Amino acid sequence: MTIPTLQGLQTALSGLIAEQTALDTTGNNIANSNTEGYSRETALLDPNPPLTIPAISTRTGQGAQLGAGVSVENITRIRNVYLDAQYRAQNSALGGMSTQSEALGQAQAAFNEPSSAGLASHLSAFWSAWNSLANSPTSEAAKEGVVAAGQQLASAFNELGAQLSTLSSQVTEQYNALTGAGGEVEGFANQIAQLNGQIKLAEGAGQKPNEMLDRRDLLLDKLSTLANVTVEEKPDHTDTVSFGNAAKPLVEGTTVNWPQELTEAAGGRLGALLGLNGPTGQLTGLRTGLDTVAETLSATVNEHLTTAFFAGASAAALAVAVKPAEVQASGTKNPGGNEVALAIAGLRGGAAEQGYATLVEKLGSDVRGAKDDQTNLQTTVTAINDQRQSVSGVSLDEEMTNLISFQRGYQASARTMTAMNEMLDTLINRTGI
Amino acid sequence: MNERITPAMVTSATLNDLSASLASLERTANELSSGRTILEPSDNPYGASRVIDLQSQLQGLSSYEGNAQDGIARENTASSAMSSISSKVQRVRELVLQAANGTVNQNNRETIALQVEQLTDGIKQDANAQYAGEYIFSGTLTKTAPYEQGESDKYEGNEESISRAVGPGASLTISTNISTLLGNGAESEDGKLLDTLRTIAKHMRGGTPEDVEALASTDLKQLDGNVETAIDLQAVAGSTTDQLQTALTRNEALQISISASLSNTEDTNVAATSIAYANEQAAYAAALRAGATIVQESLLNFLH
Repeated sequence: MTIPTLQGLQTALSGLIAEQTALDTTGNNIANSNTEGYSRETALLDPNPPLTIPAISTRTGQGAQLGAGVSVENITRIRNVYLDAQYRAQNSALGGMSTQSEALGQAQAAFNEPSSAGLASHLSAFWSAWNSLANSPTSEAAKEGVVAAGQQLASAFNELGAQLSTLSSQVTEQYNALTGAGGEVEGFANQIAQLNGQIKLAEGAGQKPNEMLDRRDLLLDKLSTLANVTVEEKPDHTDTVSFGNAAKPLVEGTTVNWPQELTEAAGGRLGALLGLNGPTGQLTGLRTGLDTVAETLSATVNEHLTTAFFAGASAAALAVAVKPAEVQASGTKNPGGNEVALAIAGLRGGAAEQGYATLVEKLGSDVRGAKDDQTNLQTTVTAINDQRQSVSGVSLDEEMTNLISFQRGYQASARTMTAMNEMLDTLINRTGI
Repeated sequence: MNERITPAMVTSATLNDLSASLASLERTANELSSGRTILEPSDNPYGASRVIDLQSQLQGLSSYEGNAQDGIARENTASSAMSSISSKVQRVRELVLQAANGTVNQNNRETIALQVEQLTDGIKQDANAQYAGEYIFSGTLTKTAPYEQGESDKYEGNEESISRAVGPGASLTISTNISTLLGNGAESEDGKLLDTLRTIAKHMRGGTPEDVEALASTDLKQLDGNVETAIDLQAVAGSTTDQLQTALTRNEALQISISASLSNTEDTNVAATSIAYANEQAAYAAALRAGATIVQESLLNFLH
C-alpha cells in the first residue's frame, strides 16, 4: 500500500484554507477592536483524521498513520462567563448608587448651603428683623421689616419644598419611563428574547453564533444597570433572565414577562429610584424633615403671639398670616413694650435652626456616602471590566503577530503545494520519456 | 494584575486617570476662586452645619452689638437728663437756705418761690427727655410724656420696664422709672421731688414763721432725701451703661473668635491649596503626556 499520489496537494490545500480562515478571523478581530461588547474570536484548528497506511514498512510489515492536513473546527469567541456574572452584580450596585448620588446631589443643590442665599441666612435675617423691632417697637418700618423677612423666609421654605417635591416626582417619572411600555426594560427584554430564538436555531445547526452571543451579553450588561440580573443558560443555549425581585423571569426562552412588580430590593437604578421615594427613603426623609423644621418654626414663633404670625405647618404651606400693622412687639398695647419681640428674636439658634442644620448635615453625609460608594463601585466595575477585557478584548499587537504567523503559514502551505506540483511534474511529464 | 493587556484597557485606564486628575484640579480651582473649602454640605457635612450655626451666631452678635450701642446712647440721654435734674435740685436747695434766712423779706421770698416754680417746670421738662422720638422716662408708654407742663404733676407713664437683649439669653433693663424720684405731685403727698418742690414754693409764699421754720427743717430734710434718690437712680443708670459697655466688649471678643472659627471651618487655606493646585496641574500635564505617548504606540509602528 502506498500513499495516494494527490494526497500532498489535498494536505497543502487544507492548510491554505485553514490559514485563510484564521487570517479572516484575525481581520475580523482587528475590524472590531473598538466595538462595544465584542469578544475576540479564534479559529479552532483541528488536524484531519490521518490516513492509515497498512504495511508501510517493507521490512517489518508494520503500518503507519500519515497526517492529512488540517480543518477549521469552529470559530469561537473567547469569554469568561463568571466574570460576566461578577460584572453584572457590581454594575447593578453601581447603577443604584449613581442614581442615589445623582438625586441627592440635586437635593443638595436645591438646599444651596452654605451660602448667603440659603434658607439658613433667611432664618437668620428673620431673627434680626425681630431684634430691630424689639429696639423700636412702634416703628412701622421695623414691623414691615419683620413681615418682609417672614415672607422671604416662608417663600424660601416654599421654594425648597417645591424643589424637593419636583425632585421626588421626577424620580417617579424616571421609574415609570424605564419600566413602562417602550421603556428600556421592555426594549432590552424583547431584544434578548429575540436573540434567544436566533441563538437556539444557530446552535441547533451546530454553528457558533458569536456575534449574537456578544450582543446578548451586552444587552444583559446594560440590563444589569437597571436592576440585579441573574442569568441561567439552558441546554438549548437560551438565557433565562431573572430581573430584580420580579416574581417571574423577565426573559424565558423567547417569552418576555413584563411588566412586573418590583420593590426597593430589586437593586440597580430601579431599586434606587423606588428606595428614594419609599417610606424610609432619603428623599422622603428630607421632605418630612423640612416640613418638621417649618412646623417647629411656625409653632415656636406663634406661641409667643396672640395673633399667629405664621400660617401653615409644612414647608409648602408656610406663609405669613399678618399685615405689618398686626405685628405684635408686646402683649400689651403699650407702645414701648417689646417683650414679645425680644422673646422671638431670642429664638435664634433654637429648635428650628438646629433642626435645619441637622437636616443639612444629614443630607451632606448621605450625599458624601453615596458619592464615596459610587466611586468605590466604579473602581470595582472598572477592575472587573479590565479583567474581562484582558480575556476578551482585542489586542492589536497580538493580532498583528497572529497576522504574520497566519500569513507565513499560508505562504508556506502555498509553497508546499508548489513543491507537490513540481514533484508531480517530474513524475508525470518527465518520467519514462 | 491582568496577564493580557489590550489597547482598549490602556485607553480606558488613561481616560479614567485623566478625568480623575482633571476633577481634582477643578475642585482645587473652585476652592481657590471661591475662597471656601465647603462648597456643598457633602464636602464636610459637620462643617456645613457648623457654618450655618456660626453664621447665625455671628449675625446674632452683630444684632446684640447694635442693641448694646442703642442702649448706651439711651442711657446717656437718661444720664444727662438726670444730671440736669440734679443740678436744678441743688439750685433749689440753695434757694431754700436763702429763703429760710430770717433777713430775707416776704417780697424776696415770693421772688425765690417763682424761681423754684420755674426750676420745677425745668425738672419736668428734663423728665420729658426723648430718645429716637420716644419718651425715655414713661415706662413702656413711650409715646406719652411722663409729666405735663403746668399745674398737674401726675406721672402719666407706667411702671413697666424696657429691656435690650445684649447676648444669648442675656438682657438688661434700660428704662429708668423716674416716678420713684419725681412722684405724683402735691396732691398725692408722696414726699417725692415734685411734692417737695410744690410744698417748698407754698411755704415760701406763705411766709408765716411756721412756714419759714418748715423750710429750714422738714422741707430741707425731704429735699435731701430726694437728692439721695436722684443719686441712686443715676448710679443705677451708670451701672447699666457699664454693663452695656462690658457686654459690648465681650461681644466684640466673641465676634472675633467666632469669625476665626468660621474662617477655619469654611475658608480655603490659600497657601496649602495653591501648592496642591500646582501639584495637580503638574500631575495632569504628566498624565496627558504619558497618555498621548502610550496610546499612539503599537506593533503596527514597527512592522514593514
